[in-house]
Amino acid sequence: MVKARILVEGIVQGVGFRPTVYRLAKKSNLPGYVRNLGNIVEIVLEGNTPAIEKFVKNLKSRAPPISKISSLKVEWLDNEESYLDFEIRESSSDFSGSSVIPSDVATCAACLEELHQENNRRYHYPFTACADCGPRFTVIQSVPYDRERTSMETFPLCPSCEKEYRDVENRRYHAEATCCSECGPSVFLYKEQKLEVDNPVKKAAQLLDKGKILAIKGIGGTHLVCNVNQEDVVIEMRKRLGRFNQPFACMSPDLKTVQTFAQVSKLEQKALESRRRPIVVLKKSENYDFAPSVAPDLHNIGIMLAYSGLHHLLFSHSSQPAYIMTSANLPGEPMLIHNHEIMENLEGVADYFLLHDREIINRCDDSVVRFRGDDMAFIRRSRGYAPEPYDLSSLTQDLTVLALGPEIDVTFSLLKQGRCYLSQHIGDTTKYATYLYLQEAIEYLLDITKTETVDMVACDLHPQFFTTQLAEKLSEKFSCPVLPVQHHHAHAAALSVDVNESEMICIAADGVGYGADGSAWGGEILYTNEDSYQRLGSLMPQKMAGGDLCTRYPARMLYSMLENQYSEADLYELMVNNYKEYFPRGKPEIDILKQQLDREFNVGITSSTGRVLDAISTSLHICGERTYEGECAMKLESVAFYGEEKFQIPFEIKKDQGRYVLDTSVLLKGVMDKIQAGEMKKNIAFAAQKSLSHGLAALAIKSADKKGLEVIGGSGGVFYNEAISLAIKNYVETRGYKFVQHQSSCAGDGSVSLGQAAIAAYKYGK
Amino acid sequence: MKIGMSHGAGGEVMQNLISDIILKNIKNKRVNGGVGLDDLDDGASIPLGDLEIVLSTDGHTVDPLFFPGGDIGKLSIAGTVNDIAVMGAKPLAITNGMVIREGFPADDLETIVKSMDAVCQETGVSIITGDTKVMEQGKLDEMIITTTGIGVVNKGEIKRDSSLKVGDKIILSGSVGDHGMALMSYREGFGFDTDLQSDVAPIWEIVEKALAIGGVTSMKDPTRGGLANALNEIANKSGVGLLVEEDKIPLKEPVIAVSEMLGIDPYEVANEGKVIIGVEKELADETLSAIRKTRYGAQAQIIGEVTEDNHVILETSLGGKRILEAPIADPVPRVC
Ligand SMILES: [Fe+3]
Ligand SMILES: [Mg+2]
Ligand SMILES: [Zn+2]
Ligand SMILES: [Zn+2]
Repeated sequence: MVKARILVEGIVQGVGFRPTVYRLAKKSNLPGYVRNLGNIVEIVLEGNTPAIEKFVKNLKSRAPPISKISSLKVEWLDNEESYLDFEIRESSSDFSGSSVIPSDVATCAACLEELHQENNRRYHYPFTACADCGPRFTVIQSVPYDRERTSMETFPLCPSCEKEYRDVENRRYHAEATCCSECGPSVFLYKEQKLEVDNPVKKAAQLLDKGKILAIKGIGGTHLVCNVNQEDVVIEMRKRLGRFNQPFACMSPDLKTVQTFAQVSKLEQKALESRRRPIVVLKKSENYDFAPSVAPDLHNIGIMLAYSGLHHLLFSHSSQPAYIMTSANLPGEPMLIHNHEIMENLEGVADYFLLHDREIINRCDDSVVRFRGDDMAFIRRSRGYAPEPYDLSSLTQDLTVLALGPEIDVTFSLLKQGRCYLSQHIGDTTKYATYLYLQEAIEYLLDITKTETVDMVACDLHPQFFTTQLAEKLSEKFSCPVLPVQHHHAHAAALSVDVNESEMICIAADGVGYGADGSAWGGEILYTNEDSYQRLGSLMPQKMAGGDLCTRYPARMLYSMLENQYSEADLYELMVNNYKEYFPRGKPEIDILKQQLDREFNVGITSSTGRVLDAISTSLHICGERTYEGECAMKLESVAFYGEEKFQIPFEIKKDQGRYVLDTSVLLKGVMDKIQAGEMKKNIAFAAQKSLSHGLAALAIKSADKKGLEVIGGSGGVFYNEAISLAIKNYVETRGYKFVQHQSSCAGDGSVSLGQAAIAAYKYGK
Repeated sequence: MKIGMSHGAGGEVMQNLISDIILKNIKNKRVNGGVGLDDLDDGASIPLGDLEIVLSTDGHTVDPLFFPGGDIGKLSIAGTVNDIAVMGAKPLAITNGMVIREGFPADDLETIVKSMDAVCQETGVSIITGDTKVMEQGKLDEMIITTTGIGVVNKGEIKRDSSLKVGDKIILSGSVGDHGMALMSYREGFGFDTDLQSDVAPIWEIVEKALAIGGVTSMKDPTRGGLANALNEIANKSGVGLLVEEDKIPLKEPVIAVSEMLGIDPYEVANEGKVIIGVEKELADETLSAIRKTRYGAQAQIIGEVTEDNHVILETSLGGKRILEAPIADPVPRVC
């Protein structure tokens, strides 16, 4: 007889792991025990070696669906203690490993069935959950994950629930979020006051159908909800929110319904129906007939399927194909999660409030994914995924790094024992509330991973980012160094770890990132090799007169980019005659812009791809003012989506200061010439995107040849654009190179913190 | 390292220069326990008997010398008088050191001196000593006027830029951005068809009326680096935060227009006739109405209050709260 101690790390708590172990041990006749040890699981078995080895093999293959074993270590013991039976023991908190609590899971089929079963105890009970489904990350206060450390703590189990909870053979054995209408949270409907209604959810559905706007508190946050058919209602909601153009995400009850208004590929279907339930950006179909303001001027729309009991119930009382379900927050601020805040802050925004009395511990926005061909990328990786770690154990085993990300679309990362925990979506840290939220979320993640100190804080190179300033503060707190990382280098590194290619040419194309030369980069061809990078090419540096003003009003870029393509008088006339309306102050502003450029007064320099796409969008009169991130470029993509390849717009590559430069002024002039020639807008948009894509790809190939490399990658927000992403992939692959892009991380700034952490690991991990 | 323009811009870069090169290399920096060089306040003081003598010195260069709303003469008196005033001291006298380029028109010099005199008369201060130097062509661009101001205050009544208390209200004496925007657009020849004017003016009257009410805790004039810099400095030095209602900050329409066309933040450009006053909550309204009766304080507003936080927060009715940072140097695009 021998004894074995097995330590399992990964997502092993709150996922029905211990009962699985229990059942397996009982079946194998191995006495001993299992318990949660801090954030990992300890199993001790007594038996003969082959039986124990067989047990380990079975455990790996039969682990519960939402668990994930990242490491399993077996030690052989020779102590005298003997066991009579196998048991599940009390949790102990005195060990720290690299496991993490699971993310939230959509209501499972078994629970859903109960929800609709009239004689079931949980009939129409919105908080129905079991060990395979329900909230996790959003309700957990600290580890080990037991009910008393969650926001379910205030809901003592009723005898029936208690029985299920204690029964090892039951699917609710130690399901920490389990409850029923007897003992669990309840839903209430409020106007100014609580309304006395029999069935608040049914009433809410009726109000939505009538065109009311509701705030609905859900799993990880609050949604503002209205129906998708009444244009006046959607416009009213936009007005109240001050969100005039940004597309709203919608929720549908099931796949069949979604197929009535959107095109759904096999892969998209899989993503939609996965237990993580992200919002999937889908192409509108010919039968799409939502109110025009739901997702204005776009060919696609973000859709998610119902993921909590409450959602399923809402739809069971309604015949709507979808509801708008947008995060309830002030612009740029964190989603509201506390009942009193929701009522106060959304007064005048929501007509009614459907709230519940379970506290949300961790705010977690809906995740968003988009497919480019068969490749998926995250636009936002949050609910259903966070805080699941990326495996960087090949880079480092023991370096602990806190990486703070960029400034606007922030996530942060904690790298510990080779695992990189990427936070939920934090958001725009220029907003004070979000900046505070970031700090709270950092503390929480440090706490649940039992991290007391860090070896390094990584941040962006931009000296003015709030995250850079926070990095300074944290480095003092932990008495550790700060590692500033160039933005596009971080993009490339995130891609590196995602696709497991440490050396490549990376096209990093986005809106802006602080460049090593102090200018604003954003169309970069970087050679990256683990911790270092070289800028081998870029888009041509262009003038940004008035700095960030150009981002909001791309006509300013249009002017500066065309300066060397026309005579002074012709360009001036062109702008005044055709583009005056895109300057808030009209012609006088064009005069001033001209002088500002002549005198180089407050004129920045940028090689951003985003600014070029914006300028093309404005030149075609598609979008002249950016009211949300990426708006002008997204609308350009949507117009181009309906275009055809009728002609080409040429591009020109030059050599400048030792690097390859794509002349975006020539490209833009090509666009202007086609406009002049009377070509159709959609076909020009199509050709322009293609030309820019091919230009970037050609730059990358030149750089790859220079380095003798075959792998070319694409990262940055521009790679959400399906047409651009596919055109680059095609161009590169037809010429015999391998093209890689984000699969399980954000193409945009959501994975910058991952890249920062990876670079720290490359540099100092060994 | 070589000195760059950002070293004189009033932001963090300049702060670093001052501490690393200047303060570090000077040993004697304080007299009789008064306010000294290390305090980096608007001025310094020498306690003498029941009084404190308050001093402040400022070298003035401005391009161009004559601008809408004023000239270098007016600026060189108002700037120094204001630094004395925000220490809570009554300005008494000025010394005037002038360095003039060879070939400078005597007529212009006369205009400048007259305009110095006009501000002195308005404020009741005298120019009691001076120095005049001439430098060769090419060694100096036009002229530099260095003025030192002297004022007095009863011992213990001096006002610092570091003594805000949580709960105090913050009064701003009028619109911001006027001087910087006027100068900038005039200098660069943007030729706005507007009446953009520098606000250069002495603020002693405002301060005197505010002090008389008795609730002033701290003061600062938002010159270089603008409102953003001054609010941050006064908050940091006091170890407190500020919550400012953005809608209450007076901005003139032409200033808004210019800032929205050039992409320049009106909170980050200089003012030469404004003061920020921290006042005990109970006396804030009374102080405000006293200030509003003065010549340059009619547009004064209570713009916010002192908090326990350690940031300067701007709150807008629509956009929520954001941190107002002190300007560092040239802005770099940060919006994706
Ligand atoms: Fe980026
Ligand atoms: Mg001063
Ligand atoms: Zn379930
Ligand atoms: Zn129950």
